[in-house]
Amino acid sequence: MASVYIPVQNSEEEVRVALDQLPRDASDILDILKAEQAPLDLWLIIAREYFKQGKLEQFRQILEEGSSPEIDEYYADVRYERIAILNALGAYYSYLGKIETKQREKEEHFILATQYYNKASRIDMHEPSTWVGKGQLLLAKGEVEQAFAAFKIVLDGDCDNVPALLGQACVQFNRGRYSESLDLYKRALQVYPSCPAAVRLGIGLCRYKLGQFEKARQAFQRLDPENVEALVALAIMGLNTYEATGIRKGMEKMQRAFEIYPYCAMALNYLANHFFFTGQHFLVEQLTETALAVSNHGPTKSHSYYNLARSYHSKGDYEKAGLYYMASVKEVNKPHEFVFPYYGLGQVQLKLGDFKSALSNFEKVMEVYPDNCETLKVLGHIYVQLGQTEKAQEFMRKATKIDPRDAQAFLDLGELLISSDAVAALDALKTARMLLKKGGRETPIEVLNNLGVLHFERGEFELAQQTFREALGDGIWLAFIDGKENSPPVDASTSILLYKDTHLFQQLEKEGHVVDLPWNKVTTLFNMARLLEQLHNTETASTLYRLILFKYPEYIDAYLRLAAIAKARNNIQLSIELVNDALKVNGKCPNVLSMLGDLELKNDDWVKAKETFRAASEASEGKDSYDTLSLGNWNYFAAVRNEKRNPKLEATHLEKAKELYTKVLGQHSANLYAANGAGVVFAEKGHFDVSKDIFTQVQEAASGGIFVQMPDVWINLAHVYFALGNFSLAVKMYQNCLRKFFYNTDSQILLYLARTHYEAEQWQDCKKTLLRAIHLAPSNYALRFDVGVVMQKFSALTLQKEKRTADEVRLTVSELGNAVRVFKQLSASAASNLHFYGFDEKKIDTHVEYCKHLIEAARVHLKNAEHEEQKNRHKQEALRQMALAEEARRKAEEQRKFQLERRMREDELKQVRQQEEHFERIKEQWKSSTSASKRRDRSEVDDEDGGHNEKRRRKGGKRRKKDKNSRSRYEADDAEAEMVDDQEELEDEDAKMNYREPAGQINDQDDYAEQNARDPLAAAGLEDSDAEEEVVPGSTASRQRRAWSESDEEEQLERLEMRGSDGEVREDGRQDEEGEINDDD
Amino acid sequence: MKLAGLKSIENAHDESVWATTWVPPTETRSALLLTGSLDETVKLWKPDELVLQRTNTGHCLGVVSVAAHPSGHFAASASLDSFVRVFDVDTNNTIATLEAPPSEVWQMRFDPKGTILAVAGGGSASVKLWDTATWNLVATLSIPRPEAPKPSDKNSSKKFVLSVAWSPDGKRLACGSMDGTISVFDVGRAKFLHHLEGHFMPVRTLAYSPTEPRLLFSASDDAHVHMYDAEGKTLIGALSGHASWVLSVDVSPDGAAIATGSSDRTVRLWDIGMRAAVQTMSNHADQVWGVTFGPAGGPGRLASVSDDKSISLYDFS
Repeated sequence: MASVYIPVQNSEEEVRVALDQLPRDASDILDILKAEQAPLDLWLIIAREYFKQGKLEQFRQILEEGSSPEIDEYYADVRYERIAILNALGAYYSYLGKIETKQREKEEHFILATQYYNKASRIDMHEPSTWVGKGQLLLAKGEVEQAFAAFKIVLDGDCDNVPALLGQACVQFNRGRYSESLDLYKRALQVYPSCPAAVRLGIGLCRYKLGQFEKARQAFQRLDPENVEALVALAIMGLNTYEATGIRKGMEKMQRAFEIYPYCAMALNYLANHFFFTGQHFLVEQLTETALAVSNHGPTKSHSYYNLARSYHSKGDYEKAGLYYMASVKEVNKPHEFVFPYYGLGQVQLKLGDFKSALSNFEKVMEVYPDNCETLKVLGHIYVQLGQTEKAQEFMRKATKIDPRDAQAFLDLGELLISSDAVAALDALKTARMLLKKGGRETPIEVLNNLGVLHFERGEFELAQQTFREALGDGIWLAFIDGKENSPPVDASTSILLYKDTHLFQQLEKEGHVVDLPWNKVTTLFNMARLLEQLHNTETASTLYRLILFKYPEYIDAYLRLAAIAKARNNIQLSIELVNDALKVNGKCPNVLSMLGDLELKNDDWVKAKETFRAASEASEGKDSYDTLSLGNWNYFAAVRNEKRNPKLEATHLEKAKELYTKVLGQHSANLYAANGAGVVFAEKGHFDVSKDIFTQVQEAASGGIFVQMPDVWINLAHVYFALGNFSLAVKMYQNCLRKFFYNTDSQILLYLARTHYEAEQWQDCKKTLLRAIHLAPSNYALRFDVGVVMQKFSALTLQKEKRTADEVRLTVSELGNAVRVFKQLSASAASNLHFYGFDEKKIDTHVEYCKHLIEAARVHLKNAEHEEQKNRHKQEALRQMALAEEARRKAEEQRKFQLERRMREDELKQVRQQEEHFERIKEQWKSSTSASKRRDRSEVDDEDGGHNEKRRRKGGKRRKKDKNSRSRYEADDAEAEMVDDQEELEDEDAKMNYREPAGQINDQDDYAEQNARDPLAAAGLEDSDAEEEVVPGSTASRQRRAWSESDEEEQLERLEMRGSDGEVREDGRQDEEGEINDDD
Repeated sequence: MKLAGLKSIENAHDESVWATTWVPPTETRSALLLTGSLDETVKLWKPDELVLQRTNTGHCLGVVSVAAHPSGHFAASASLDSFVRVFDVDTNNTIATLEAPPSEVWQMRFDPKGTILAVAGGGSASVKLWDTATWNLVATLSIPRPEAPKPSDKNSSKKFVLSVAWSPDGKRLACGSMDGTISVFDVGRAKFLHHLEGHFMPVRTLAYSPTEPRLLFSASDDAHVHMYDAEGKTLIGALSGHASWVLSVDVSPDGAAIATGSSDRTVRLWDIGMRAAVQTMSNHADQVWGVTFGPAGGPGRLASVSDDKSISLYDFS
């Protein structure tokens, strides 16, 4: 056993002190040391021995005694030992300060340490060990740069000073200069190969930091297998391999470290981390609590809190988890150092509904990891919750950009976009579907459903159908969709129950087929049926709806769709029954009530309808604009329907209607139907400019989108143009509307068109239009009456014309004949119910009489016209003859002259030759020939003159007569003269009547139901709108109502639209889908 | 089965073409196509090139219906003014002018033996039967009025008869009306038998299958074609697919297919066995008022006429 010998003063003797037998009380030793004035190195040795034995008190006592002023005085020349003692004390207090957790004591220790080192420096300020001590102290205090300076002083003096090398290595490590640090450690090891483990640990850490893991591992392994730090380091390295064996080995090492030294916070944290993953939350808590108790190192504590929080988080204790995350966050100065607790905190806050705080925490995570997909997605979700859709989309978009293979991100993005940008949504969902397919995963049915709906909305029916089919997969429905199963024959007299029949399914079940419909496919099946409806495959659609109802008799929408199909086929009774079935499921469903109201209107049950709409409005607490609209329309119809208009009542109803429309517009400023209604009211009041603007806007808004069909607004606009006298535009508008919305099948619009032609005096167009209308609506006798009126009007006008040909007159006569036939047939065939159309036999008789009258007149006209024509022909003939005669005459004259000349020449010759010989005979011959020719000439000329004169005279006479009797144009010498005059008068009278009547007539016609006697102008403007609205008993409500019925047909769609946020006209199925999505979520 | 376009004549008439039928071949000539139009003319066309043979005038207010006698020698055309003109196909000599006021005239059909011409009487709620030898009115088949008609209603117009069809044996006659009901008569006893319900909108054309005597097809404004067992009073099936009114229907001579013309501007070919549309022709630009299969024995032909003034001929195989 080692021992020291304290020389006894003034003798050769020595006191032997066995180092392992140092007295408990250091005073004993001190007494000896003092008494014998032992050299100071002995003091140090003994003190160190005490330190090694852990007897710190004794150690301190000896050293303090050894550094007391007396000693200084006594051993004034022993400098090195004094410095060593002071340095030992300095190092001791540095250590105390380093390990002390309480800030105040820590400072005190450091102050003491500084004092000792300063004292040592005063003895010899070049002593390297003092500088090393100072350097260590500064390191402990965290003053790295000053420590660096201190160590540098030493190393400048002695570049192989091991403690200084180690110190400097540590400084460099802390400054993050690992390679420099590594070099220093290596030097230290070379200089002093048997240096303590810490050096190798340092080397290992440096290599680790430099990424030289294998060398680091070797360094650690060269260390004492009991070295806790090395074990922890190795363990972490193992864990970081992310391989099962590495992790297991790492954990073993960690455990070993824990067994050796159970208070290493880092080991504790790692163990806790491990047990968190293995789910042993109890251990996690214990370990982290210990770790928290033994460490005051910020990051380590933060880690511990984080572990604890995670443990609670995973157990679902969000309150506690939140608290610990918070604590963890508090220990972190900057999110960059340790970002996980922010993420956890954000998650917990999100869970607890504190979106704002969650948002800020996730944003901190974003600062550190700006490209983290999960965080981007979470932020996206938070923005959705906060209602900031655009920001949400932005984040989702970014997430999909960063990881274009993240199907979930695309799904989320798609769902976000559905309500705002259908095209982009479709793209996102398509990508998601593709990714899922690539990944071999099945696309969820909701996604396929949404995809289908998006295709549907964009009018890509083929794609929609494929998608729905994929979503539906195999099932009994395929048999119906593919038409393999058809409805069995039903009794043709009970076919009004067509769409209620579920016999088919019962039959199938009896035959052993499985008629099943999983709940999650109902929506898709419904959408499929909706699509088939859109494709006009109504029969299959109805079968699918019935299948839904067969399995889920509470599915109201299916009832409504069936009712809408029945309604579209005019099977009102069945429709009402179906709606009543739906009401049995839910008597307060506003949609159903609205539908019922519409049906009641269609059945002319006005009072009932109003009540139903009211009930619907109450059921939806006034939030459903559809009901409000319906009530508005009801009021509008009521205003214009009354046959004997009561101006006061009308005004009230109109005002009420306006109020209701305005209310809807207030709720949903984009509601087209309400705007249309408002426009109608304005038109009704004569504000055509305002209404024109409104209608134009509505029309623009309504074009586009397959679910918005607003022919009404086209018609209304046309009415306004008509009222403003812009007939050509009105005609165009009507025609476009007919073609665009009605496949040219609407006789009512044809009637409007005819009326416009009538006003524009395009008689033939008018007539043809009416004939088409009759062809479309054969039982509408009013149309026939109108044709009669038009032909009559046309004929009368032709006869009044200044100039007309015989052909025209002939045509007129035949037209009048047709008119008479039409009128007569009317009075005969429809006698019993003429009053529906607003005319009676008396009226018809008047027309017949008038037409006959016209025919009589026309006959005269015809005679005259023909007569004149004949005269003209004669005249022309005469002229022709004359021209011929003239020609002949001229030719004859020429001939004569020629002959004359010849004769004269002959004569001369003869005269020369035979003058003397035959004088007497030639003279006689010459005489006779001249007189004859002269006579002939004369008569010809006379004839000519006479003819001319006569003609001229006749013409002149005629003109004169005309002047006299300017209008009659009949010759006075005719026996009929008087009668003609009469007729003239009559004609005038008739013309007046004509003027008045047909104008009024057609007005009436437009809406015979109403029979109002307004002045034509007003009628022109308003009637149409009336007419439109007013097809009341089956006639007027039509147009406006039609819009609705349209909507009813889309009942569900529209309902949703109305319910939907801004009453845009696009929602329908999709919102439904969204609902579904949510459900599925 | 398949349709292939053979020939189309644009502006075949000056106005909408509303009616068409085939005139069966005679010993001296092949089958002809007869068309009637709003332009008040009736035209005869020679297939397959659709060469215009003759233009008959004399009608007023638009020709709504044409019918050809099974012999192919004479035919009838009717216009909105409710006159029926019976004429010799080859000479255009008027054989008779028929009217039965106050009854209007809508669809006309000769019975399969050619002894009777049936005329849908519109608002008279009856079908008029004319003897084709004497051209006398031999019977009026009236649809019984519902027991308690509401006087204030437009009900009286509901049994407005639009269409007629003869069963292949000539014993039954069906007529379709504005309210969608179809009435079946026993012609021999001139007796009303029963109604066939299912439509609630005008039935504009009826056609019996030439091969199955009880099978009746109806084309209605509700965009559906119904298949009825006219004797058994049952609705066998409903064919949906047209987007608008179905204006006309005709059954192929072999009874395996029907063709329909619709306001949706298309002509559809349906397989009776599959009960599904097998082909859709969209060559017309407006409502297709008439479709008619060529007579049995000749080459498979289908003709269609439309509001767009054109007529089209297809090969049917």
